[in-house]
Parts: sequence; C-alpha cells; structure tokens
Amino acid sequence: MLTYAGTAAAVGLAGCSGNGGDDGSSGDDGSSDDDGSSGDDGSGNGDDERFEIGVTMGQMDSGLDPQDHAETNTEIITGQAYEGLMDRDKVGGIVESLATDWERTDDGNVRFTLREDVSFHNGDALTAEDVAYSIRRIVDDEVGIVSPQSNDLGVIDEVIAGDGEVTVDFEGFNPIAFQLFATNGEVMQQSWVEENDGNYINQNTNGTGPFVVTEYDSGNEVVYEPNDDYWGGDVPVDELTMGASSESSTRVNRLLAEETDIITNVPPQEVSRVEESDVAGISSVPSARIIFLQMRYDVEPFSSQQFRQAMNYAVDVESIIENVLNGFGTITGQPTLEEHVGYNPDIDPYPYDPDEAERLVEESGFAGAEITLETPIGRYLGDVEIAQAAASQIDSLSNVSCELEQREFSSLVQDITTGNIEDKPHFNLLGWGNAEFDGSQTITPLMTSNGALTVLENEELDELIRQAENTEDADERVEFLQEANQLAHDLAPWVFLHQQFSVYGVSNDISWEPRSDEFIDPDTATRQ
Amino acid sequence: MSFGRFVLKRSLQGLGVVWGVVTVVFALRFVTPGSPINAVAPLDASPETRQAIATELGLDQPLYIQYGQYLFKLLQGDMGFSYIRGQEVVGLVFGRLPATVELALAASIVAIALSIPLGVLSATRRNEPIDYGATLLSLGGISTPNFWLGIMLILVFAVEFNVFNTSGRGVDVGDVALSLVGSEPFFGTLLAWLAYITLPAIALGTYFMALITRLTRSGMLDELSKGYVQAARAKGLPQTLIRYKHALRNTLIPVITVLGLQLGTLIGGAVITEAVFSWPGLGTLVIESINRRDWPVLQGSLIVIGTSFVLVNVLVDTVYAYLDPQVVND
Repeated sequence: MLTYAGTAAAVGLAGCSGNGGDDGSSGDDGSSDDDGSSGDDGSGNGDDERFEIGVTMGQMDSGLDPQDHAETNTEIITGQAYEGLMDRDKVGGIVESLATDWERTDDGNVRFTLREDVSFHNGDALTAEDVAYSIRRIVDDEVGIVSPQSNDLGVIDEVIAGDGEVTVDFEGFNPIAFQLFATNGEVMQQSWVEENDGNYINQNTNGTGPFVVTEYDSGNEVVYEPNDDYWGGDVPVDELTMGASSESSTRVNRLLAEETDIITNVPPQEVSRVEESDVAGISSVPSARIIFLQMRYDVEPFSSQQFRQAMNYAVDVESIIENVLNGFGTITGQPTLEEHVGYNPDIDPYPYDPDEAERLVEESGFAGAEITLETPIGRYLGDVEIAQAAASQIDSLSNVSCELEQREFSSLVQDITTGNIEDKPHFNLLGWGNAEFDGSQTITPLMTSNGALTVLENEELDELIRQAENTEDADERVEFLQEANQLAHDLAPWVFLHQQFSVYGVSNDISWEPRSDEFIDPDTATRQ
Repeated sequence: MSFGRFVLKRSLQGLGVVWGVVTVVFALRFVTPGSPINAVAPLDASPETRQAIATELGLDQPLYIQYGQYLFKLLQGDMGFSYIRGQEVVGLVFGRLPATVELALAASIVAIALSIPLGVLSATRRNEPIDYGATLLSLGGISTPNFWLGIMLILVFAVEFNVFNTSGRGVDVGDVALSLVGSEPFFGTLLAWLAYITLPAIALGTYFMALITRLTRSGMLDELSKGYVQAARAKGLPQTLIRYKHALRNTLIPVITVLGLQLGTLIGGAVITEAVFSWPGLGTLVIESINRRDWPVLQGSLIVIGTSFVLVNVLVDTVYAYLDPQVVND
C-alpha cells in the first residue's frame, strides 16, 4: 500500500521548519504517522484526547489578511486564527468572543467590554487600541487598505479605545450594530500590521483564535496547530489541515478514501455515494443563503405586478427542491429567512398553480410574452438545473414563452452590480447570503430604491425599511420588517425559490455539526 | 549562416514570441467580460468602494499606461501584485512551477519507459499479437480524455483499492532528495511520493505514451527496411545489435524532437489533470485565477507557460542544428 495521509506527511516532512517547537509539546512529533489514515492516528504529542482533522473545500483562500477579502472560503481559513468581538453559535445566535459584554450607550452608540487575558499568537496581550485600530482599518480607506468589508460594520464616525473597552460611534442610530459585529470585524494586532507589508500579512497570521498557522502553501494547503494559550480552553484538535479541490468528485473521493474528514458542497448526485459508504455520512444545515429569480419592475412584462405573481404561481418550487436538490432546500415566500430577524410567519409561499398563473398573465395584458431567464453557471448549488426547470415550467404556460440563457457568473454579476437599473438583466437567477441574520440586510440592497442590487422601486417598501432602520424599539422594528416582507411577497419582484442548504460530507471518525452561517469550526468536532 | 548566428536568430525570434504572448495576454483582460473589481468587492459594495478599489489597483489608469508600466516592471522581473491574494505574483507563479515541472517530467518518464520498448516490440514483431496489443493500447491512449482517465484511476486505485492517494501533493521530489541526508526514512518518503504522483503521471502521460509508441513503431519499421540494416544483416551482425544499436538509435532522433516539444505541451497542458487531482501546479493556479479574475496571476502564469514552451523549442532547434548542420543552412 502506497497510500499516504497528507496531514501526516506534511507534519513529518515539515517538522524541522514549521513548528518551531518552542515548548516541546507539539513541535517535533508526527513524523512517524505514515499509516495512511488522517483521522485515526493523531496521538503524536502524547495527548490521547487530541486528534488530527482535515477539511477539503471547493476553493482555497485569497490571502490570509482577514480584513482584505469578501469570500466565505477565505473567511473560513482566516477565521481559524482570527476572531472578532462577537461570534455566532451553530444556529446563528450571537455569542461572546473577544468581548464579554456589549451595551448601547445613552447616545445610541455601542460599547464593548473586552475579555481579559487574551493574547495574540506572538504572545502579546490584546489591547483596546488593537480592537479600535482593526475597526478603523476595515471602515477607513486611509488606514492601511481599502477593505472590501468597508460596508460590513455600518457607517462609523469614530472608534474610541478605553480602559478594557471600546466604544463605536455610528453615524446615526444603527439598529443592527451587534448583528454586524457578530459576523464581521476580525481583530488584528496594530503593531504587527504596521510592521509588516501586505505580502507578509497575506501569508502569515497573528490572531487570537484557537489555531495557529504553521504552514501556508498558497492556494494548496494550510496547516494549523492548536493555540495552547487559547482563552477558550483546550482545543481538542492536534493538527488541522485545510485544503481544497474545485472538482466535487475529487472532494468526495478524498472523503471516501479517508484522506480528509470534512468536505463542503457535496452535490446532490454524489449524496447517495457518501451515504452508502461505510466511512462517512452527510450532514446538512439550512444556510443563510436564499435563491430567487429577480424581475425588473421597470420593463415589460415584469412591470406588471400580476405578471410577476403569475411567474411565482408558474414555478413548482417543491418539485425543484425534491428532484433537482435531492430535498436539500426549503421553499420560501418572502425575502427574509425563517431564522432571521423580521421573518413573517404568516406568509405562505406561492403555491404551484399553472391555471392561476395563466389567468394572471391574461389579466396583466401581457399574454404571449416572450421572456429570457439568465442564470449563472456553477455559482450556486444546482443553479443551471434549477433555472432550466423554472424556465421550462414557465414556458409550459399556454400564454408565455420562456428561454434560458446560461452566463458565466462574473459576466452576469458585472451587469447585476451596475449602478443603473436600466443596464441590469430583465430576469435572472441570483443567490444572496445574509450572514447578519437580519431581514434588512436582504431587503435593503435587493429591493429598496437605492439598493445596490435592486430591481424594484416602491415608496411604501422604502418607507417601511426607513422606519425599521430608525426605530430604537426592537419589537417595533421587527413589526416594520414583517410588514415589509408581506409587501415584498405581494409585490413579487422575485420568483421566490428556496433557502439553500449547506451539504457536508463528514467522516465517521468524527462527530461535527455544521453551522448555518457556512463557517466551519473544526475546534467543535469530537472524535467518535 | 554560422551556428552561433543561427542560435542568436532563433533566440530573438523566441523573444518576439514571448513579447507577443505578453501583449496578447495583457489585451485579453480588456476583452473578457467581468471586472476584476467584482472579484474583490462584495456584490452590494457601494460605487465609492468600487472606485476606491479601482484606484488602489491602478485600474482607472489609461490602457497604454497600464501596458507600459506592466512591460517595464516585467523587464525588472516584477510580474505585479495579486490584488485578490495580496501577494507578489512572482512568488505565487514560481512557487507553483516546480509542481508542474515535476508532474510533466514524471508523465514523460512514464510515457518513455512504456512507449519506446512497446514501439520497438511492435515493430520487430509486426502482425503478431504483441503488435496488435500495442496498437490497441496506443489507439486507446490517444482517444481517451485524460480527465476521464484520471477520475477512473482515482475510483479504482485510490477509493476502491486504496493503493494510491486520490489527490494533492503531500510529498514532493525535493522531500525525497532531502530524506537521503535528513532524518526521514528514504524508502518511506519515496513510497509516499509515489503514492501522490503515480496516478496523475499516468493520466497525463498516457496520450504522450500512445503518441511515442506510434512514432517509435513507424520509425523502427522505416529504419529496419533501409539498406544499411540489410547490409548489417548480410555481414552477420546479431539482430539485437542491429535493432537496438543501429535502427533504434536512428529512430530516436525524431522521437527526441517530439519529446522536447511535448514537454512544453505537458507544462502548459496539465491544466485538466491538475484540476482532477488537485495538483498544486500552474494549471490549478490558472483555473483559480480565471475564476477569480486575478489577472496579474493569470498573466504571470501564462507568460511562464509560454516562455517555457518557447525555451524548449529554441533548445530543440539548437540541438537539432548541432546534430544536423544542414538545418542551419536551410
């Protein structure tokens, strides 16, 4: 047998340069682990509780600077080493991280009380100045970089570092300040960032998180060891290896050959192969991503509300979820997902009713309309197949004909993100991830008049969102958002499709539950 | 024309081709849909953020200035900075080059080790079962897509029988060399390296193997029918000597030419094989860069691939001219 476990090999062969071994606890081990299984050895440091774990994603990071990217994969890789003030639990709830307490001040700003005795991986203590600098580096183009995350923390006027606390002064009242900080805002050490250039910062880490990067092979593999001084206590993983394969079949093969423990984005057609194996199973969770078909309100025939509603009646979403997605999806009827703030439980999804669809098309005055649905290729789980099914169902109406146009994502997104609504596609498939778990973070950019990706202009909806953004009463805010969701359902600027599931393949050697925000937290895995 | 002038002329022509590659690759950025800003900025980024990113990346400069700056830096060995990865392109590209060269060489070794003996056997035992077998194998090799072959090899030898690794490059040839002097066991490291490289090398080398088998077979048949072979036979030289010392040697001249050219093709053409096996070479870097619209890295990768190809061609021409002076005069 020649089979060789990548993780064991990496440790064994890089032991002289990677680990350093300043405490002797984990730096010089692992070299004899050549038995070919990544998940069942891992006892190299003499700690029987710890084990090795490997994660294979679809794509690697785009550099290790946690504030200079806007990608989920990069977030997962940097997020093992860096942390924010707050975090999320498995179902999206807000939990403590580097801040132990948070509150609104009398003037509507927010104040974070920092955790004591937190240190960066280089041994230096975390300070309030580091936190303040990190926030400024994200939101202020003048501080270090132009961060693609500059909108992710809201519009911030000032950040004040105090004694063990940091106060963030927003421009106006920000009702979702804590949701934003629970998802964004990784903290870096000011002196470390200022002493190093971007090239270095993108290939090295110095965070406070549970893992320390020991090897960084750009675009190929990142190897971590546990942070022995982690404020959260002992990390059960002895060594973490994160790699990627763009081919989904290769990811599945790696899992079935026991070369990795967690794989992401198992396509529906591969699910049974994993489930029928003796070595791994499927673990899925509803994600924070919604999939829909956008219709531009200002062009015929989509200018008619009846026509837009007809499109919703024409598409059999339940059937698409069952047949295209193997059941990995939940039907939606509003822009806000069930787990998110502002979800309206009284709204039912549009039922599949082609007769009603034909009637509404007649009523709209656009009988005989010829429309084209544009879809990205390979961007979302089963996107082309979903679009094909939807277009075919619309086309089967007696009074509408629908064609499908497949487009490369970066080309389609060029048109979607253009500032002018006149330049946007008339009818296209899109997905939207709402990592803040708040309805406003979907409705504002996608449905309000000034939204960056909007296809709708409706004063009533704009006003509801404006009121939701300005009220300081959380319950009242939820009511405004629920009302906005009802209005969005009725106006139907989208064909509401489904909530996408994150589908993982997980080795039987470990027990691990996925998170709904798509972040992977191997430190919560346990050995079976 | 002297040999020196010939080499100089070929080198200048090669430089011209490289310049052409640089220019075409640079121009591609502006005719391909999809702005690099979309790869950096989130979907809902404000116009101000997009403009700030464009300014930071120098994308708001006129085209000729961007081109001039790029050429000037390239001459100094600076391939630019990846705005997606925040890293120097030179480091990224040359960090991946060894993996691709290693795979290309391994594929060549697999191909040569199988194809030349098979080609000779096929020619010397014409119309016998071994000839039919070799012909069938080479036809299969030429007509099998390497991505399909790669997937099948993984399913059978890695997933089903667990003999090789499915993908990745956990150990490289440098590690094997280091194990000769370091503390790692040499044999274990060698086996580990073979576990990673064998399947991608077979997948990539199969087409090449089939091609060389056919070339060797036809070359040998041609040589064996020539007068000097008949003369050698008439002199009573042993068959082995005639076949392997005289006929094969002459057959290998065009085979070596094709080998050289194919090595360049392998470096550039390993893209699909690298993707199937998650091999961290230039091919996967090219795919990642296209997906992310990481133009500086894509340009750097294509320039290195193009330059490798040109370099191999110039070297082959030079060797050919050295072996056959008539080429210089032609």
